[in-house]
Amino acid sequence: MAVKAFGIVSSADNSIHVEGLHDYRPIGAFSFLGRFRVIDFPISNMSNSDINRIQVYVRSRPRSIAEHVGSGRHYNINSKRGKIQLLFSENSSTRSIYNNDISAYMDNIDIIQRMHQEYVIIAPSYMVYKQDYRQLLETHVASGADVTLLYHKVDNAREYFKNCHTVSVNKQKGVQSIDKNLGTANSKNIFMDTYCMHRDVFVELVKAASWMSSMYTLADIVNLKCKDMDVRAFQHRGYFATLTSLEDYFNASMELLNYDIASDLLRSEWPIYTRTTDACPTQYFESAKVNNSFVSNGCLIEGSIENSIIGRSVTIKKGAVIKNSIIMAYSTIEEGVHIENAIVDKWAHIIHAKNIRGEADAPQYIKRQDTL
Amino acid sequence: MAQNEMLAMILAGGRGSRLKDLTTKVAKPAVFYGGKYRIIDFPLSNCANSGIDVVGVLTQYESVLLNSYVAQDGRWGLDSKDSGVYVLTPREKADQGLDVFRGTADAISQNIDFIDTYDPEYLLILSGDHIYKMNYSKMLDYHKQMHADATIAVRGVPMREASRFGIMNTDGKGKIIEFEEKPAKPKSNLASMGIYIFSWKLLRKMLIEDMKNPDSDHDFGKDIIPRMLNEKRGLFAYEFKGYWKDVGTIDSLWEANMDLLDPKNPLNLNDSSWLIYTEDVSTLPQYIGKDAKIKKAYITQGVRVEGSVTNSVLFTGAVIGKGAKVVDSVIMPGVVIEEGATVTRALVAEGVRIGKRARIGSKNSENIELVAKNVKGGTK
Repeated sequence: MAVKAFGIVSSADNSIHVEGLHDYRPIGAFSFLGRFRVIDFPISNMSNSDINRIQVYVRSRPRSIAEHVGSGRHYNINSKRGKIQLLFSENSSTRSIYNNDISAYMDNIDIIQRMHQEYVIIAPSYMVYKQDYRQLLETHVASGADVTLLYHKVDNAREYFKNCHTVSVNKQKGVQSIDKNLGTANSKNIFMDTYCMHRDVFVELVKAASWMSSMYTLADIVNLKCKDMDVRAFQHRGYFATLTSLEDYFNASMELLNYDIASDLLRSEWPIYTRTTDACPTQYFESAKVNNSFVSNGCLIEGSIENSIIGRSVTIKKGAVIKNSIIMAYSTIEEGVHIENAIVDKWAHIIHAKNIRGEADAPQYIKRQDTL
Repeated sequence: MAQNEMLAMILAGGRGSRLKDLTTKVAKPAVFYGGKYRIIDFPLSNCANSGIDVVGVLTQYESVLLNSYVAQDGRWGLDSKDSGVYVLTPREKADQGLDVFRGTADAISQNIDFIDTYDPEYLLILSGDHIYKMNYSKMLDYHKQMHADATIAVRGVPMREASRFGIMNTDGKGKIIEFEEKPAKPKSNLASMGIYIFSWKLLRKMLIEDMKNPDSDHDFGKDIIPRMLNEKRGLFAYEFKGYWKDVGTIDSLWEANMDLLDPKNPLNLNDSSWLIYTEDVSTLPQYIGKDAKIKKAYITQGVRVEGSVTNSVLFTGAVIGKGAKVVDSVIMPGVVIEEGATVTRALVAEGVRIGKRARIGSKNSENIELVAKNVKGGTK
C-alpha cells in the first residue's frame, strides 16, 4: 500500500566536503559496509515505508549515482505505480554558494508541484540510519504541525557531528531553533536533515527562501520560520551515522564491526537493498587469517585481515596485513604490504609502498585507481 | 544474434532421486550449489550470456518452487522487451486430456504451439541440472558451418568410464555415424552432454510423427537421435572442453562444491566476462568473528563465522557458532551450527540446525553424510 507522501533524497550542502572520497562522487555514492552505497539507506527506508515515488537530487558528478540507482527496480519500487527520478540542479558548479538545496528545488518546482501525494518526506543522502517514515508521517499528521523534523540525541557532539545542525526542543517537542553544531557541548540533539511536511508547505518554504536570499537553505528557512510556524521534533532511536567528514565516515564504519550493531541495522524485516554485481562468493586460501571483519563477495584472500571492511572483488595477497582499515572494491594489495588505519579507494593497487599507516582518529586516504 | 533466431528449451522436470532428501520437496535443477547459486542458474545464465532472449523451462516434478524461481526473469537479465523466461508445465488441451510429459521429446512436442509463436530457425535443448559455462552461440555457428540438421555437444571422458555414457561415434570430421547408449565395448570416448541444437522445421515434423508412434518412448536419446541417424540426416558432434558436472548423487554434489576450493578450478565463477546470475538477497556482507579461523573456504554474503572453517563451502546466511568446527563440508543456506558442534565430511541441507557440541560425520567416512533434519545438541 502506497502512503500519501512522496520522498526526496537530498544532496549534501556545499559546506560539506569529505577529504579524498568526495573528489570522485557525491556522498550518496560512497561505498558503505563493503557491499552498500550510502544512498541505499534512505532509498530503502522509503521503499520499506511504502513510499513509491522518490526524487533523488544530485548536485555534481552524477555518473556513479545514476548508474547505481538506475531504474530503481532493485529497491523494490513498484514498476508501474512507482518511480525514482534523478533530478539535477541547473546550477551545478559544486562549490558555488548559489548551488544549495533550495536552488535545486526551485529548478524542479513544477515537478514537485505536480506530485499527486499530499506530503513529502525529505531525507539526506549522506547519513545512515533506519527509520519507518510511516511513523513519522502519522505523528506529523496527528499533531497538526506544519513541519516535523527527525533528530537523534547524542553525547559526543564535541568531537563528532561537525558540519551538522542541532535542534533545540522544548518539553512539548516544539522546535525553538536549528543551529550549527559548534562542538560546545557533548549532549546535543543532532538534526538528521530529515523533514516531513505537507507538499504545499514545502513549496511555500522553498519559494520564501529563494525570495529572501539566494544563499538560504531549507534548514535556514525552517529555522527562521520556527517562531511563526508549528515546527515539531521526532526522536530517532538506533544506529545513526553522519558521513560528513573522513573521520566520521571511518568511525561510522568501524562502529559496525560490532556484529550486534550491524545486524540490528540490517534486519530481514527491514531490508537494505543495493545493486548486485553478481560477484561470486569469496575465496579464502590456505594462508588466510581473518578476524572481526566484514568481507564482500568476489574477493581472493591469502593474507591477514583484522578489524576491517573489505569491498567487492578485492585481492589480498600472501603476507599482506590489513588492520583497522577500509579497502574498497576492486583494489589489490600485493604481497608483504602492511596497511593500518587507512581508507583505500576503489581500483587502487598497493605494491611498492610496503607500509601505509594512518591514525585511528585520522585515517590515511589512498586515492581511487592509484598505484602505490 | 537476430531476433529469436534460436529459442532455448530447458528440460527441468527431473527429480534427481539419488540426491535423497535434498529433492523431496524441490526438483533437482533447484538444488543449491556453490554458495549462492541454484543449479538452473547455470543454463539460464549461459543462455543470457550467449545472447538467447527467450527461454522455455519445462518443469514437472515438485515444480512449485522451481516455477516461481525461474519466472523472475530479471535475475538473469532476460527481462527486456523481447525476452523472457517462460515456465511450461503439462497442461490440458482442447483435443486431449491432461497428460504428463512422457519423455524429453514429448515435453517439447507438447509445447510446439509455444515455440511456433516465436517461429525460430533453430531450437536449443538443454538440461536444467548441469553445472558448466558454455557459449551456445559458438555451438550455433558450428551447426550452421556444418549445415547440420542436428548438433550434439559432446565431451571426452576417460575411455575406461565411457561405457557409463551415451557415446557418439564420428567419422573423424565431426559427423556422427553411430550412437550407442552405455556401450559394453565403446569405440569412442565422446559422451553426449544432452545439449542439442536442431533445425526447428525438421525437428517439428519429426516430433509430430513421434507423438503418434505408440512404440516410441518419446525420448531424444532413445528415439529422435537414432531415427535421425537411420534417415541419414546430418548429425554433428560439437566438442566441449570446459568444466562440466552432472551432480547425480550427494557425493558428486559435495565434490562439485569442493572443486570451487581449488584456486585453479576451471569453472572460475570469478570471470567477469561470463558471470553466473542468481537470486539477489539483501544481507550483510559475510562477517568473520574475533576468534574465527578460516582456512581454505568458499564463503558468500550473509554468512557469520565465529568458529573454525577448513576446506568448506558456506552458503547464504549460514551461521557457524563459537568453537564450532566445520571441516570438508558443504553448509547450505540458513544452516545454524551451534557452539562447539563438529561437522566433518558432511552436506548439511538448507535451514538445518545442529545443536551445541553435536558431532556429525567423520574424517574417514566412505560417503559424505547428508544431514537433512535438525540435530540435537551433544552431551559433552
